[in-house]
Amino acid sequence: MKQQTKLSEEQQQQQHAAEQQTQQQAAREFANAEELLRYDAAHTTVPPGIAQRLQKSTGGATAPKTSWWKRLFGGTNP
Amino acid sequence: MEESPADLASSEFSSLYAENSRAIYYLALRFLSDPQKAEDATHDVFLKAFRKLDQFRGEASLRTWLYRIAINHCQNLRQGWHDRHVFSNADDAVWENAAARTDSPLRVLEIKELGQRIQKTLDGLPDEYRLLLLLVADEELSYEQVGALVGQSPDAVRGKLHRARKAFAALFEKTA
Repeated sequence: MKQQTKLSEEQQQQQHAAEQQTQQQAAREFANAEELLRYDAAHTTVPPGIAQRLQKSTGGATAPKTSWWKRLFGGTNP
Repeated sequence: MEESPADLASSEFSSLYAENSRAIYYLALRFLSDPQKAEDATHDVFLKAFRKLDQFRGEASLRTWLYRIAINHCQNLRQGWHDRHVFSNADDAVWENAAARTDSPLRVLEIKELGQRIQKTLDGLPDEYRLLLLLVADEELSYEQVGALVGQSPDAVRGKLHRARKAFAALFEKTA
């Protein structure tokens, strides 16, 4: 009985893995290069260090009426 | 979307950065093929934009204006090694004869290494194709805007895009 249960669990796991693989393969098809690049861009994170460096770089500038980085980060100085 | 210079008070820089930093960083990343250089370039592009906001004439969209700064900046950075990767028009024949079909979907089995495959593929393309694909991939840009950025007519953009897609697909298959 225990063997049957174990077998059943393994079958379920295999079936689940197969379903997952099918779903993943279906999701990993792109019509053309731009679509692929769009996907890649959407999953690319902009390093937060850039905004921090910009804050320092523009710190001495005369232009901003309001600290743009404060607006961007809700008033917290990085 | 057109912005007048009056709308571009420097206090709006936060929204300018928030709305465009991903697009500019991505272009720099995939064009320069180096995350650290891309980070530096993105910083420099937005710093230039910050300093030149009063010169923005509102004739183009802000996104297009930023792209123009970014393209000039990245091309200058690549100038040193660009000469070693010059592709003449004769190279078009190589891509024309490539086995890949542009109407076939690109299949990807490993998402986690997708970025590396894309980078490797782009690195193998002529700069012109690489830039064209990256710009056309931005849905906010029309063919007219892409053409203005690369100095081509919209029709020429469409023609080159066909070859660029084909070249990308051929190289992408080889990276699997």
